[in-house]
Amino acid sequence: MALVGRPLPTDRAGSALGGVLRWLIRRLLQAAATFAVVAVLLFVLMRLAPGDPLARLTDDRPVAPAERARLEAIFGLDQPIGTQLTKFLSAAARGDFGVSIEYYPLRVGELVQNRLGPSLLLGLTVLLVNVTLGVWLGVLQARRRGSRLDRWLTRISLAGYAAPSFWLALMLVSLFAIKWRILPAAQMTDPLLPTDAGWLTRAGDLLAHLVLPTVTLSVVTLAATMRYQRSAMLEVLRLDFVRAAYARGLDERTVIWRHAWRNALFPVLTLLGLWLPVLVSGAVFVESVFNWPGLGSLAAGAIATRDYPVLMATSLLVSGAVLLGGVLTDLAYQALDPRTRAG
Amino acid sequence: MRVRSSMAGLLAVLVAASFAGPLAAQRDTQSGTISIVIGAEPTLPFPGLSLAKANMDVASLLFLPLARLGRQFITSDEKTYEPALARSWRRTDSLTLVFELDPRARWHDGKPVTPRDVIWSVNRSRDSTISPTYALLLRNIASVTATGEREVTFRFRQAYGDQIFDATAFAVPLPAHLLDTIPPDRLAASIYARQPVGNGPYRWGKLEAGRQLELNAVPDFFLGTPKLHRVVFLIVRAAEAQLNLVLDGTADAYEASLLPRQITPIVEQPSLDIKTQSSFSVGYLLFNQKAFGDRSTPHPILADRAVRQALLLGIDRQRLVRAVFGPYASVVDGPMGQATWIRRHTPKGPGYDPAAARRLLAAQGWRDSNGDGVLDKNGTKLSLRLSYPGTSTARVGMAEPIQAMLRQIGVEVELLRLDGPVWAERRAKGEFDIDFSQATLMPTPAGLVQSWSCASSGGGSNVGSICSPGFDEAYKEAARTGGRAAADRWRDAIGELQQDYPAVFLYSPAQALVVHRRYRNVSIRPDGTWTDLWRWSVDPSQRIARDQR
Repeated sequence: MALVGRPLPTDRAGSALGGVLRWLIRRLLQAAATFAVVAVLLFVLMRLAPGDPLARLTDDRPVAPAERARLEAIFGLDQPIGTQLTKFLSAAARGDFGVSIEYYPLRVGELVQNRLGPSLLLGLTVLLVNVTLGVWLGVLQARRRGSRLDRWLTRISLAGYAAPSFWLALMLVSLFAIKWRILPAAQMTDPLLPTDAGWLTRAGDLLAHLVLPTVTLSVVTLAATMRYQRSAMLEVLRLDFVRAAYARGLDERTVIWRHAWRNALFPVLTLLGLWLPVLVSGAVFVESVFNWPGLGSLAAGAIATRDYPVLMATSLLVSGAVLLGGVLTDLAYQALDPRTRAG
Repeated sequence: MRVRSSMAGLLAVLVAASFAGPLAAQRDTQSGTISIVIGAEPTLPFPGLSLAKANMDVASLLFLPLARLGRQFITSDEKTYEPALARSWRRTDSLTLVFELDPRARWHDGKPVTPRDVIWSVNRSRDSTISPTYALLLRNIASVTATGEREVTFRFRQAYGDQIFDATAFAVPLPAHLLDTIPPDRLAASIYARQPVGNGPYRWGKLEAGRQLELNAVPDFFLGTPKLHRVVFLIVRAAEAQLNLVLDGTADAYEASLLPRQITPIVEQPSLDIKTQSSFSVGYLLFNQKAFGDRSTPHPILADRAVRQALLLGIDRQRLVRAVFGPYASVVDGPMGQATWIRRHTPKGPGYDPAAARRLLAAQGWRDSNGDGVLDKNGTKLSLRLSYPGTSTARVGMAEPIQAMLRQIGVEVELLRLDGPVWAERRAKGEFDIDFSQATLMPTPAGLVQSWSCASSGGGSNVGSICSPGFDEAYKEAARTGGRAAADRWRDAIGELQQDYPAVFLYSPAQALVVHRRYRNVSIRPDGTWTDLWRWSVDPSQRIARDQR
């Protein structure tokens, strides 16, 4: 089977696969180039932005000029920006983002590694809620178009979409954590859980802490998924092949989920691709309010303190996720829709 | 540990079933846990390397100084200090102070604390290549030597009041036997820095980066067994989350500068109490006496002492401070916090007198020539920029009222609400007309030299290029004087500073602690909030599950 070069006329499958591979390589090269440009731009813009990255280290206490010079030398801030950039790119290519200014002497890689898990956990939970509940409700609305249920779901989802996430987070905490005390206000786990607590306890504790941040993030994103899914489904339900399926005597569930839904997936796939960065970085504000120990709160802290190394690492991770999200979405399109296939 | 009944039945079952074991554990009357919210990661939690508050908070539980300031915080009175690692001290002459170490003092690895530890630590702190800031603070120590098995002798370069403060506050002993093989520039990245061995009431437990730090009581701590067996610091940056964690019961204590509107949710929680204490913090409007961003040129408006005086007279400090802080701050007349011992001896500054302010400005030639309500002179408007960090709720709350008050005397104020790091950078470069500063100062008034003397003008922390030769002269005299007699000299020095009108000294906020009511013997100190934590205990009748050992 020829994967590279001109495909043989008789080898259609090989030809298609070769086309996809060529397309993928081209797409990944484009992404890598974009990533490099983003890295340089981010580095230069951060250094040009005003703000003293060493302010936090001294907590506004008087510091001798020599002490300041020593700190600048430790973090390479005494070097010209060109030298800093060269050193950064060279180290970053080896996966080394240096030492955090705020968390000195911790290395950035270690910090990011510690924060990635919690962010992925929160992001994947939100994604799961979206894919299941959002899609199902969107399809339900399309099937019951114009009904009282459809109208109410539209109103509720739009209200959720319009609600500012910081307000929603504070309201949820105020009610569920402080007033009724049925859910924790912040953190990922109970910090005082006994070390000998069983896995059931730990799982229950983790789930309880996951509820409010997930609800906050999901309310906004769920509304978008429902709206996209509903309108895509309505488009598809009008098409001839759906009527034909009904005419063949297939039951509604089969028509909806096996025939119509598959064709109504594309807008939602695009949306999910756009959400990949959120999945990686979390929502900065939501992680801060709930003190969720993920990349979002790490990035928020780094912005506030001008912790350049951490800021670069988290920004590049999000940039990478955006680019990867685009590639994966395109790949999914190609897999699901033959008309979009390369070659 | 607290059982949370979840909204979902499943969660409730899971949690309740698995929490049943720990709850049934045998009760221990000599145990207790406290979880404390702190705003940053304690990355270097030992003395002598970092001035960041999170590090100093944790270090105060792990390490002891030779002696502690007494409750009146009179830094130059040797008699009021309390023993710590040293059980006694004596003066042999005006340049020599001898400390006798407590023979019971031990490092957490079991080794005794020796004069070698003290000498090594002082010499390390005096090395300007390691910490220029500490080296500067210890510049008056000539030598430290062992003069006996348990005796350490400090020799000073000159006679001055704060010798004992310098010897005890800035050179807290570290374990020489663990550190002398680590190159100074590697210490921060060493294994020791990640798991410090101290000699205080608590030993290092476990750090989860970005989440929490656990310390465990040292049962045979030589000054007495800590009543709380476990201290957990929760690392929480967002202000909303800090307060929420105390309100929902996850955390037991939270140190904050409280404003009246933040008090309501706290007082609504019957389980929480608010303890207040004077602080070493002070907030003030600093006048830049050099041009905006140009330290070679006098400020076109603020170089004039009469204008600075008029600005002070034009601000109703009492009303301003009460409106923003309520009872949680007091008005100050000098660069000293409420807890600074010389504050009681500070001359009272002038009160609010807008008419006098207008007269002063008129006498200097400032007129409203175009009737726009803003004074001008020789084509220059009496217009100034007030810079402040947007992260400080108190300063944000005061900025607009200050603008309005100064408008009443014909001064236009442009408000520059800046991002924290931007504000700090501009401040350091002298890029401001009026800076809304807030600083936590050292307990000793000798520290004033760093921000208010001619020697530091335009460099370091004297960002306003303040220079009053009268203050410098009086300062030297006050610093030389020891004991309580120094109070009069300090009054003279502060009086000289006030006469130069370098700033409008506004407020000293109270140090406030929100703490669960189940704790007994709660006391906090302005020079180290948690220093006395080992003396706290839990009321046996209010013990909860997480207080069990």
